[in-house]
Amino acid sequence: MTQVNLKTDEELIAEFQAGNENAFVELVDRYKDRLINFVYRFLNDMTDAEDLVQETFLKVYKNKHAYREIAKFSTWIYTIAGNLARSELRKRKRRKTYTMSDLSYADNEFTPVDTDKDTEGIVFNSYAGEEILKAIKNLAEPFKTIIILRDIQELSYEDISTILDIPMGTVKSRVNRARLKLQETLSYLRE
Amino acid sequence: MQNNECVFICEQFTEYRENTLSIELKSQVDTHLAACSSCAKVFQELGLVLDKLKQLPTLSTTQEFTNILMARIQHLDQESVLHRMYNSSYTRVAGYAIAAGLIVAIGLNIWIDPVSLSNPDRSPGYAVQQQSNQIPQSKSFAGQIDSSSDKTEDSLKIQYKSIDSGSQKLQLVNDSE
Ligand SMILES: [Zn+2]
Repeated sequence: MTQVNLKTDEELIAEFQAGNENAFVELVDRYKDRLINFVYRFLNDMTDAEDLVQETFLKVYKNKHAYREIAKFSTWIYTIAGNLARSELRKRKRRKTYTMSDLSYADNEFTPVDTDKDTEGIVFNSYAGEEILKAIKNLAEPFKTIIILRDIQELSYEDISTILDIPMGTVKSRVNRARLKLQETLSYLRE
Repeated sequence: MQNNECVFICEQFTEYRENTLSIELKSQVDTHLAACSSCAKVFQELGLVLDKLKQLPTLSTTQEFTNILMARIQHLDQESVLHRMYNSSYTRVAGYAIAAGLIVAIGLNIWIDPVSLSNPDRSPGYAVQQQSNQIPQSKSFAGQIDSSSDKTEDSLKIQYKSIDSGSQKLQLVNDSE
């Protein structure tokens, strides 16, 4: 193990800001898989998700001096990736035209089912698994985001509050509402 | 069938599960769940949902991910070097243009300056100084002579033009009066 592995994210970004490119590579190694798991849940396409994670790191590289030590590096990079993912979703929505009949539910809090190819189906094709993936896909964006951050990425309420720039109380209530939405969707799918 | 209390109880589920509710609120949820089968069902299903979320497979980036990224960064760096080079030569050209403009402006000023016109002894000195500033890069002496004589002719033409336009301006002012 090299010495660089023992360093905190914040130490690595500081080294990178000082010109050490190896520190950047170490940050890429630490975050690439975490970010792909985060971003994939929005885009449901592995190629697009990888592209978006690449864009995230390119932004970090180009804007390394925008990072200030007052925030954790993780919340900073999740914010960048989350913003990119949301703007990609908005672009997709503009590209596609939907009618309300495309929706599986008479609930405008749900977004249309994504018809993009589902890479994950190959590795995760149990009925129960498919069910929950479908349910996540159908969640409205704010609920989807909070479920991904809290229940899939297992981030703390405090970090989520920083990433989404909303108060802790709102994070907690949104997590609860999102979970209830998910439970409601799953029970609807089973009926 | 759920009522307002059911909605309130369901809102507490996350904190109830994490055991962060006050003792009073926790016992209110306990009591409600024991009596309301609808909420008890939701709570139980919520637990299953959370279990399923935990079981989602972990995805990984492709093996070439970092190599592709670093290649893109290298390309980016090369682009920015080219951009800087372009910018600097552009700035240099702009600088030369401004300098040339200033020299012409100063030259014009001398020619139409009434003091230098009325005192011809002073003007050649200035003119020679300006001319030598204009041609510092000429390599041959012959070239210097040629270009300086051309410039003097041009400057004279400009001088007349300037005087003409000056009188036109005056005339316009007179007209408006
Ligand atoms: Zn109830």
